[in-house]
Amino acid sequence: MADFRTEVFQNEFLSDGATDVHAIVTVTSSGAGTAASSGGGVAEIVIIDTSGSMSGPNIEAAKYAAQVAVDQIADGTWFAVIGGSHVANRAFPYPNAPVAIVQMEPGAREEAKRAISFMRPSGGTAMSTWLRLADAIFAMVPQAAQKHAILLTDGRNESEPRAELSKAISDVTGHFQCDARGVGSSWEVAELREIATALLGTVDLIRNPADIAEDFKALVNESMSKGVADAELRVWAPQGAQVLFVRRVAPTVEDITSRRTEVNALTGAFPTGAWGDESRDYHVAIRVPSKPVGSEQLAARVQIAVGGDVLASGLVKARWSDDSSLTARINPEVAHYTGQAELASVIQEGLAAKASGDEATATVKLGRAVQLAAETGNEEATSRLRRVVEIDDEEKGTVRLKRNADKLDEMALDTASTKTTRVRR
Amino acid sequence: MVTCPSCGTVAADGSAFCEHCGTALGASAPAAVAVLETPDEPATPVCRSCGGTIAPDGYCEHCGELAVSARDHWTELPSPLVGGVCDKGRRKSRNEDAMALAVVGTTAVLVVCDGVSNIPDSDVASLAASRAARDVLATAEPQTVSSWSALLITAAAAADQAIADAVGDMTGRAEPPSCTFVATVVDGPTVVAGWLGDSRAYWIPDEGDSHQISVDDSAANEMIARGIPRARAEASREGHAITRWLGPDAETVVPQTATTRAQGPGWVLVVSDGLWNYCSEAADVADLLHRTAEKVGPSPDAIAGELVRWANEQGGHDNITAALARVAAPFDTVQTEETVSAQSAPPAA
Repeated sequence: MADFRTEVFQNEFLSDGATDVHAIVTVTSSGAGTAASSGGGVAEIVIIDTSGSMSGPNIEAAKYAAQVAVDQIADGTWFAVIGGSHVANRAFPYPNAPVAIVQMEPGAREEAKRAISFMRPSGGTAMSTWLRLADAIFAMVPQAAQKHAILLTDGRNESEPRAELSKAISDVTGHFQCDARGVGSSWEVAELREIATALLGTVDLIRNPADIAEDFKALVNESMSKGVADAELRVWAPQGAQVLFVRRVAPTVEDITSRRTEVNALTGAFPTGAWGDESRDYHVAIRVPSKPVGSEQLAARVQIAVGGDVLASGLVKARWSDDSSLTARINPEVAHYTGQAELASVIQEGLAAKASGDEATATVKLGRAVQLAAETGNEEATSRLRRVVEIDDEEKGTVRLKRNADKLDEMALDTASTKTTRVRR
Repeated sequence: MVTCPSCGTVAADGSAFCEHCGTALGASAPAAVAVLETPDEPATPVCRSCGGTIAPDGYCEHCGELAVSARDHWTELPSPLVGGVCDKGRRKSRNEDAMALAVVGTTAVLVVCDGVSNIPDSDVASLAASRAARDVLATAEPQTVSSWSALLITAAAAADQAIADAVGDMTGRAEPPSCTFVATVVDGPTVVAGWLGDSRAYWIPDEGDSHQISVDDSAANEMIARGIPRARAEASREGHAITRWLGPDAETVVPQTATTRAQGPGWVLVVSDGLWNYCSEAADVADLLHRTAEKVGPSPDAIAGELVRWANEQGGHDNITAALARVAAPFDTVQTEETVSAQSAPPAA
């Protein structure tokens, strides 16, 4: 079993009358082992867009990537391959096979690669059907402790109303994890982000079809390396307190407040998916009733639980003081991630404004993004922003929109907007 | 075996902190001397604020209140007429006050020591001192006034020795731990007090004028002696400096003593400056005590608890200790010499 530990970064001192406690909790797992060792088994489904738009180099690259992924899937892993257009089709096991999902072994691997080579592009795009078929196939292996899908598309979800996709995402949430990838510049970042966010995965842009295989290989390897199938973050707050928000802030920003399920009246659980040997940061904000100067109390217990057992606990404290040299101090971790969270939202809002023709708002928002990226030392964000805006003054956030910015550069900025840098310690 | 100097819990070998109360377990921490007897403490710690269960992390599972260690807050009630509360207060990080109470036959013993702020082990020193003094006074045979006074001097010497035993080697310490001392013996209507420093004993009759039995060994008092008004002297920055104390760097450990003979029922109240900082004049203390007794009833532990709560409400800037003994009938009607020490006549109330 993996070891989890927590580390809490906060300024626990509050001034007289203050109520809000902010803390960054770093959760680190070690000795997680591999997915194969987690017991109960692992299930992996590869979903490839086979709509008509994929014709040409995209489909060939996608098929090759799917075959590479199949090569990476370890023997014994339950797996299936789906081709998706305006309907979803099981490519492997073959549609006429008696079972919907099989365990990997050398024979199945060869046959699956052959099945993938037969995939042909045609039709539209309705991703809800892809997710629902994957969900139905995963349901065949309830014993699998860890279920993971890779979804690749090159286009918009044009064959159905957006609400259909949202409904499907919400129906399958909690059943499996899904990493979503878009190739080229015709897909919609918001759609894939919605899928990946709800299904505890990542979203990314693949500029060049030739790079799909490498990405798939990495995704499968990553999935195979996660020895803890499902961990939950628990946040206890005292009677009378209010959890203002719970955000994952590293490696990417994600507000998870609304995903709370109740453990007991004072404790909420938030799904975090599978864990390998890794470290994630969470920003927790709690509002507690103010107490007299000199009082100390616990504002939150932030815990990691696996299978209902709490494996690590971090304490977030509140101490009221009239010493302003203590209370005025802003914790560097809290400040850093507050900035990074704002960075993600101003990038997304700025690009949305630009897409809708509101150049004034876009300029202000992206200017603020440039400023925040510089302040928080997020050099990758700065270099991505540079491709979309001309920076006049980094410190003041003065920018001009580039007239001929590449659509791919805007999408890369958008998909990567939630990626954070860690605090330099 | 290592025992926690605060709460007496036996610690696992090699632990740096007490598992029970979180006190740092220094290598030189004294074992037996500072063990606190808390027979009333329940097996499962209960939150003082809401009654919830205290989690192993030291905070209430329900309201998040920090659990208070036995060293930070405790109550003693050796008889229904003698009791006290010792409390960390709100602002200090440690409780450096200590008290030790006893009742032998009809004699009550109240000892309060206030460890000098922010010197390491002052909390250990004050607890060791108060208990050593109590033990000397509680094992004595019935006494005359003058022999009680002599015994108070012996008790102070024993308290000083207990500090030396408790804190160990003083070499290399810039500031050795030290504490104030006030011990009061209530033997029928006779009240004999001995003190070093500014922890106080008051005589508060149910009717008639109250007075402070002890006379602070403080810079403030020297100022008062020079004619500066009491309120101003006590509020001054240097006013709180004490001129005598117990501990390795004390110049003298012979307490001043004073005796009062009760003419009617009343209370002997022994307090640290954590209380009298908010209420100093004897008449004001009497008002506060009478109001408090009206509110919570005649039990000395309840009165002391309410006085401590009140001082916390005023800000709780320092550790707070209040201990009381009830003086009841019989009273002889013969007027006797009120003081035995010429230098320590109680000030007019």
